[in-house]
Amino acid sequence: MKSILPIFRCLNSLERNVEKCKIFTSSDLCKVVIQFFCRHGIRRTHNVCFQESQPLQVIFEKNMCSNMLIIQPRVLAEAVVLFTSSQEEVTLAVTPLSVCLKSSSDEPMDLTSSVYSEMFVGPDEFDFFQIGADTEITFCFKELKGMLTFSEATHAPIAIHFDFPGKPMALSIDDMLLEANFILATLADEPSRASSPPSLCLSQKQKRSDLMCSTNNNSKTGKNATSKAPGCILRKAAPKRLYPNETQTDIPALENCGSPIMKRVNEDISEVPESSVSDTEEGPGSSYLRQFSCMFFGAVSSDQRQHFNYPFDSLATASDSEEDMNNGSSSTF
Amino acid sequence: MKFRAKIMDAACLNHFTWVSAMIAKLAKTCTLRISPQKLNFILSDKVANGGVSTWCELEQENFFSEFQMEGVSAENKAISLELMSENLSRVLKTAWNARALKSKLTNKHSPCLTVSIELLSVSSSSRIVTHDIPVKVIPRKLWKDLQEPTVPVSDVSIYLPVLKTMKSIVEKMKNISNHLIIEANLSGELNLKIETELATHFKDLGNPPSAPEDASQDRDPEQMAEVHVDIQKLLQFLAGQQVNPTKAVCNIVSNKTVHLDLLHEDVSLQYFIPAFS
Repeated sequence: MKSILPIFRCLNSLERNVEKCKIFTSSDLCKVVIQFFCRHGIRRTHNVCFQESQPLQVIFEKNMCSNMLIIQPRVLAEAVVLFTSSQEEVTLAVTPLSVCLKSSSDEPMDLTSSVYSEMFVGPDEFDFFQIGADTEITFCFKELKGMLTFSEATHAPIAIHFDFPGKPMALSIDDMLLEANFILATLADEPSRASSPPSLCLSQKQKRSDLMCSTNNNSKTGKNATSKAPGCILRKAAPKRLYPNETQTDIPALENCGSPIMKRVNEDISEVPESSVSDTEEGPGSSYLRQFSCMFFGAVSSDQRQHFNYPFDSLATASDSEEDMNNGSSSTF
Repeated sequence: MKFRAKIMDAACLNHFTWVSAMIAKLAKTCTLRISPQKLNFILSDKVANGGVSTWCELEQENFFSEFQMEGVSAENKAISLELMSENLSRVLKTAWNARALKSKLTNKHSPCLTVSIELLSVSSSSRIVTHDIPVKVIPRKLWKDLQEPTVPVSDVSIYLPVLKTMKSIVEKMKNISNHLIIEANLSGELNLKIETELATHFKDLGNPPSAPEDASQDRDPEQMAEVHVDIQKLLQFLAGQQVNPTKAVCNIVSNKTVHLDLLHEDVSLQYFIPAFS
């Protein structure tokens, strides 16, 4: 993303000057070309190199989750502000009568611990409230914050789909122009729990039902699982055809919507780090969670028919993978 | 040992939040001393801070609409708690739009100061947020370190200039040297000097009236009293002062201590900087 962002940096000047934007790839040169046709006959061309990589397939039926909440991003943002930023994980506890967001920490509190905070949100604050079973799930706070920042830009309500601890949860945004699904892993209750609902199995048997994870924290843990994460499962589905490039977003639509954030161009995924998911054993809760991450799916198409034909044909990429950018070519896409 | 208090007024809450933010800038850990009439923030560890000590006092009735406390025992009507000042400051900052704030001492798995805030949310429904700030109860035998420091008899007392100005000057000076000389006289002149390199002169500051028994009675008004201090300590103090206080006095004991005595409306803050040994 780092190569693309500077190209679309100045929204104001883009809106003022750019008449047409053309994006195409030339596969023989391994480049994505982004051309801005501006006023006064000026044409600006950016060439971004890319690398082929193997796409990952993730199948997660969010609609099969027994719990679903839809909430306005502002409400969630208010809750998020309460937690001190050093918080690693946060717990969402739901009952049919209330929802509680609280900081989760297993260690006994001493003077230097961070503050424990909890906040109750009443069912009436949600746009949609369906709780099948009382449950408490714990997930990575940083991912939630990142995703919230994204959703605040779109102003669309966020749908949270989840089940029991250990099963992934999905945060989705469904807007007129885009649909985004963020799949997060949740902390399982017991390490020995073998939870693998058949719908989540891919080609390999899963011992833990969260999906592809990668080391999240760039600075601390390496790209590959550290010794703290015993056991690996590398999940690779059979490579499936990505969206053909011709289904890229309609360029006039890009102009009309004003904000480039509203549209996500189909991305060829960057190379996914080959790191792994912790498998059977769970180390101490926090170090383990530091290594789980989430998958971002961007399914964007102005052509709804395409979308229906390939509902799962989403592009999966790991979050926050700075190391990827440093490998090989200077700008990967 | 019990403590329960409630703040209902927005202005009081803002002021209290501001006090805790100021304390957070001065020290990482601090001691909160709760007594029936007052609340004190005391810098916990003199040694770690190089001999600097802070004493901040506020009248509880200026802040809390309800205040109940029971000390450790009938004779010792106080509670002393050690906590991370940043924790308290952050919690209070989240309450900026609150309707009410309740605070009490609890012992769930370990002693905590539980702050529960009633917020008015975006969707205009009331919401309760609870924070548990971990604290450590300071045993009575260590209370002697938490007494109000005696104000030393000073050689010169002078009103300070606008703190923001002073801060920007001291900040620039810290790049030159660690060693700052503060000198002042009874003619309203204050100088901040770096030996042979740089000096800033403040004039017409005014001196507070001195008490009859003060040593400064017979002092030549032009004569400077000076102290050599660590510039970082002065800077840390100035960094915590966002707003200009109602009253700011600097008391100098020649070659011994600089005692900064501030009054922000109803909150008094005293800061002692020892001379370089």
